[in-house]
Amino acid sequence: MSDVIPLHMLARGEVAAIDQVVGGAHDIQRLEELGLRRGVEIEMLQPGSPCIVALAGHRLCFRQNDAVGILVRAGVAR
Amino acid sequence: MPAANPAPDITVALIGNPNTGKSTLFSALCGVRQRVGNFPGVTVEKKVGQTRFHDQSFSIVDLPGSYSLAPRSPDEMVAVDVLLGRQDAVDTPDVVLCIVDASNLERNLYLVSQVLELGRPTVLALNMLDVAEEKGVTIDAEVLAERLGIRVVQVQANKRIGLAELKAALAEAVGGKAKPLPSPFPEPFQEEVGLLVERGVRPRYMAERLLLDTSGYLDSAKLPGVTDEIRTFLVEARERLSTAGVPIPAVEAMSRYGWVSTVTDGVCRRAADRPASLTDRIDRVLTNRWLGSLFFALVMIVMFQSVFYVAEPASAMIDMMNEFLSNLVMQWLGPGALRSLLINGVIAGVGGVLVFLPQIFVLFLFIAILEDCGYMARAAYLMDRLMSRVGLSGKSFIPLLSSFACAIPGIMAARVIEHPRDRLVTILIAPLMSCSARLPVYTLLIGAFIPDRRYLGILGLKGLTMFAMYAIGIIAATLVALVLRRTIVKGSAPPFVMELPSYKLPGLDIVTYRMFDRGWSFVRRAGTLIFAVTIVVWAAGYYPRNPANIDPALMQAEARLQREITELAATGPSAADELDHRERELAQVQGRISGQYLRHSALGQMGQFIEPAVKPLGWDWRIGCAAIASLPAREVVIATLGVIYNLGEEESESAETLSQTLKKATWEETGQPVFNTPVALSIMVFFALCAQCASTLAVMRRETNSWKWPAFTFVYMTVLAYVGAMATYQIGMQFVTS
Repeated sequence: MSDVIPLHMLARGEVAAIDQVVGGAHDIQRLEELGLRRGVEIEMLQPGSPCIVALAGHRLCFRQNDAVGILVRAGVAR
Repeated sequence: MPAANPAPDITVALIGNPNTGKSTLFSALCGVRQRVGNFPGVTVEKKVGQTRFHDQSFSIVDLPGSYSLAPRSPDEMVAVDVLLGRQDAVDTPDVVLCIVDASNLERNLYLVSQVLELGRPTVLALNMLDVAEEKGVTIDAEVLAERLGIRVVQVQANKRIGLAELKAALAEAVGGKAKPLPSPFPEPFQEEVGLLVERGVRPRYMAERLLLDTSGYLDSAKLPGVTDEIRTFLVEARERLSTAGVPIPAVEAMSRYGWVSTVTDGVCRRAADRPASLTDRIDRVLTNRWLGSLFFALVMIVMFQSVFYVAEPASAMIDMMNEFLSNLVMQWLGPGALRSLLINGVIAGVGGVLVFLPQIFVLFLFIAILEDCGYMARAAYLMDRLMSRVGLSGKSFIPLLSSFACAIPGIMAARVIEHPRDRLVTILIAPLMSCSARLPVYTLLIGAFIPDRRYLGILGLKGLTMFAMYAIGIIAATLVALVLRRTIVKGSAPPFVMELPSYKLPGLDIVTYRMFDRGWSFVRRAGTLIFAVTIVVWAAGYYPRNPANIDPALMQAEARLQREITELAATGPSAADELDHRERELAQVQGRISGQYLRHSALGQMGQFIEPAVKPLGWDWRIGCAAIASLPAREVVIATLGVIYNLGEEESESAETLSQTLKKATWEETGQPVFNTPVALSIMVFFALCAQCASTLAVMRRETNSWKWPAFTFVYMTVLAYVGAMATYQIGMQFVTS
């Protein structure tokens, strides 16, 4: 089974499922409103900080910091 | 509304996620029939448009684009208040129009689920079905409508397709009983909300929000019906829910997305493979660290070149117009206070506003195009790397960029930053960007006092100096942001998340609309103020006007010359040369007289009073005067310098330009020239860093809702400017061999 890794470790073009959003309750809520939530499949379009990821219907750019991070389960087959 | 119209006006509240084509739909529905204002007490734009369908008229209230109706600030509260009919500035909406992006239905429906809970008649506009199809998404609109219990209308806002059907659906929805949507929340949560409603918290949606909001915003918002008893209840209720396995606030996203997946199940299908879209292919280049940054630099260069390109002819045209009008006034009015007021106050004041318009329109045109085609979000993404080093995010980029034209629209653009601390820091450093009002100061002084040298064949010293002035502002802003983030405006950086919309061709309507909309709001806000202060400065430089203060010899010379000119004019063409000579002499004398008047005016006295303070900067009292006069608007400095040094000390044969006049100006005590390169640099540095702009401070007050921040900005920038100018002069003098 694949391991849970931080989002920014995904390589370009890699697809993963969000396992967990960690951080303060309100930051998490904001991210969830934007569609970044557990179980959602994302594809890394542009790695780095900030990175660009593709979700089902849209693209988001995201910079993680000390307060907020996204953990993903890599190696999801499409 | 005409009396013949039987049907009452229908008020529609338009809401939707950002990047769903909401503004496009609003423009398509209302065209130019819209009024823009502000909701009281907040920085949210109030946009109300009018449209008709057969005999029915509609007022459409455009609410700010939002991902959610969970207010965390007074600005976000506005949409909720409008929808609940608690906002006095607009009528209670009869129907809510919710626009969604068909290619991104799941996330858009999150907001829809909140809107439906409000229990108002609602119509859904399903936009961008064409884009969705390209992305391999198909939607069964009929089943969707059935499941939501509301009308779903397919529209293509940019092609104006489906508008009539949409209006018909809106008219039909009014008065209809909204089918209350079963709450997506789990049983225990609903029960607690029910208890809150029983205790007098209404409407139900607000009770829900109160229970969910642990950020403390709603608590501090002093909502009616929220007593200490309720507060205690809330804390206990959250604890009860937590033990029941209902975590607050996480339950909201869980419940709503759960609801969304039941609604979209079988309605929305996605192709198994996400086809690499055109946007993805463009983004591979434009968001690339190197190629993308190169392209970004090119866009910026083209943009600023265009702004400068229109600046020159525009100011030449304004000058011509000013001269023409001034001559007209001089023909009609004899010398006196009224003539001076019209020429130096009114005409100069209007010109001072108009001269910025072309540059500001060009800048806004570029920004509107970049925004509408989707590039601005990429620019913000690229800039985030730099911005995050000073504790800001990429979202501060657009406000700071606009500030290079004018800090006023820049500060207003900071509204897009939802994090209050980031927004405040951005507002506080925005005036350090070299705005177009500084440009004439730089141009004049560089032209007159920076030697024309070239390095390596291409780098001109004049150009480098100009660049240095812009760089000083940026460096100072960086340092100030760093210091602020560590002292006054502390706090952790919020997560930076931003949607990157798909690229599209910019729509002509929306681009021109935004350009004129922002341009006019600049004229309204800045124009009136710049105009008013120009008149105040004129008065300070004109009064008290006591002829006893003028050297009698000059007065006699004036009278003599006037007499001689009248005589010569009567002699006929043979005396033309002589007449010309006398007229020039008269202008010289009158110039010196107005110089003496100025010296004894309120403004002149202030200048002399502060001379000891500005001497370390290398300035004489006249520069001090110009600095005081430009306190409300820095561009005034040019005109004031012109009046103050006017046609100077020595007799000269030809009319002089301002830069020639400045070169000839001497210290009254020593006879040494006032201006040299260090003095010119010191003035430039001062103007690069100072907060000499009342309109900026006024806008800052409005956007921060307190006088504290404009006062702080004025103080810190003035200190920065003074120290910077002094250092420039003192260091510069080390290199000047006396």
